[in-house]
Amino acid sequence: MEFLNLVLIFITAYLVFRRPERERLAFRILIVSVLLMVFLFSMATRTALLPGVNY
Amino acid sequence: MQVTNTSVKRDGLYTILAVAVLALAVIPVGTAVFVLGFIFGDSPCVMCWEQRIAMALVALIGLFVLRFGPRPKYIGLSVLVGAWGVFMGLRHVGMHAARDIGQGFSVEILGAHTYTWSLFTFWVCIASMGLLLIMLQASFTRRDEAQRGVGAPASEELGGVQGAPPFKEVSPRALRPLQKVTMIVFLIVIAGNIVQAFASTGPPPYMGQGDPVRFSFNPKHWVWSLEEWSAAPVSLRGRWAAEKPSVAAVSADPASGPLADLPELPVTGQRQIAVPLKGTVTDLAYDGATDRFLATTQHGVYILDGELQRIVRYTIVDRGFSIDLGEFAGAAFLDSRTVMALGENKSYVVLREDDKADADKNFRFFLESFDKFSEVSRSRLSTVRARMMYTMSLAFDPAGKSVYTVTVPNSKSRRLVVSRFDRRDLTLSEEFAPVLSAETGLKLRGKRSLDEFYVTGAAIEAGRLYALSAAFSTLLTIDLATHEVVAAHAVQGLERPTGIAIKGDSLCIACEGGRVLTVAKTKMGSGAITKP
Repeated sequence: MEFLNLVLIFITAYLVFRRPERERLAFRILIVSVLLMVFLFSMATRTALLPGVNY
Repeated sequence: MQVTNTSVKRDGLYTILAVAVLALAVIPVGTAVFVLGFIFGDSPCVMCWEQRIAMALVALIGLFVLRFGPRPKYIGLSVLVGAWGVFMGLRHVGMHAARDIGQGFSVEILGAHTYTWSLFTFWVCIASMGLLLIMLQASFTRRDEAQRGVGAPASEELGGVQGAPPFKEVSPRALRPLQKVTMIVFLIVIAGNIVQAFASTGPPPYMGQGDPVRFSFNPKHWVWSLEEWSAAPVSLRGRWAAEKPSVAAVSADPASGPLADLPELPVTGQRQIAVPLKGTVTDLAYDGATDRFLATTQHGVYILDGELQRIVRYTIVDRGFSIDLGEFAGAAFLDSRTVMALGENKSYVVLREDDKADADKNFRFFLESFDKFSEVSRSRLSTVRARMMYTMSLAFDPAGKSVYTVTVPNSKSRRLVVSRFDRRDLTLSEEFAPVLSAETGLKLRGKRSLDEFYVTGAAIEAGRLYALSAAFSTLLTIDLATHEVVAAHAVQGLERPTGIAIKGDSLCIACEGGRVLTVAKTKMGSGAITKP
């Protein structure tokens, strides 16, 4: 899934650089990428979502 | 002229942003893939991957700003991703922060492991965003004022009042050479990461691993895993979400305990603590030299006479404003004038009886009876095997000059562990999980375990630790030399026992309501072992 997310980031950066007229599409992909990153981290830490220290 | 100056400043701001994005892309993200990954074979764990991707996303948002101007949605998103990055860094560092010096996960750089640098990087990102925003506002305000004339209302876009034309950045912006280089370098760095991610994590639905395999360009060494998709309970704090100990939550029936056919130890007498205490009794200890008992309540320390009829002295300890003592669950005489009270969280206070104590000086330590004790120390016992478990017992061994605690299990960690602390520095000196001696003739039922016992009181005599379990009303006798349970007895009639003390030939068992039962040690022959 990290592979997929990095591909999305690459596409987004390419659009920003070479196809700036597609800003709306680039920003949407950026949002998807952010959400995917948050989801994957949460998946990896779902057994203890908060930092495992004394509170 | 003012406009020109402002334009120059604004271009300078974009240059600073380009350098910052370049630095973020090259130093943490680029170094991680090209140097640590491709050269040294480092492979990120799943959490590292997400942190690295979040750094790339912050840099990517920077590219958006370079191309389309500082729109609020970009700035807002970059702060959100940066804040999430700090949280991820804390979550990751939290897994390893309490380890011993030099220990950690994966690669160490300049004395800190990669996940620690991630936390630092995100912190720098957010701090940089704040600085850039300050510079941005100054730059755009001057430009705006120049367009409208000084003294005109600020634009809406900058949070001002209505009526002024908002400043509009030309979008998309034409990129200067440095900004183009930044975008090209970013694409190269991401391309490198795509290669590493494909080798290390694989295509969807495969994702990163908790314990990744060393990076290799050889497909034979690639391991793609679905382990992170496997079913697992969702929890906020995981094993840290252990419930506080409670003697009320356990079954008192010996017949339902892990040990079958326990010999019974008859109760030979009982009495009630005749004086009112603030709170319920949480432990009991006895000092033969002065014929006095020590009893603790949740926050109270009471010296009682040998018949439990009179309070000799007491105090209520202030648990706050320093080390959190929790609620007292253990009590022991360290000598005839010095007592120790232990919270269920293994934090403790050592008090010395002092008839000349300065009440005003003691205001900070006590809530009542300020002039009866002096506080010697207040600190915490640290454990290893007993970590993540509370304790409800404390015993002092004068022969070994050591203090002992025994764990109580919780829903996250279940293990019967005896911990010994040297009296001189109250530092962990020994820990063991007792095993059942074959010589007792006792058997564990099925797959039951000694870890089910819920020890709420402990006392030591002649190298034997008497551990009273409120669960299954069982008295365990543990040999401190062999670490074996050498005897076990059922004691009928216990109602939430919280402490045990040895007085002569008797074991005095304190119950939560203040009742103290007496059993005779001499009756423990059945099922007990007499060691030579």
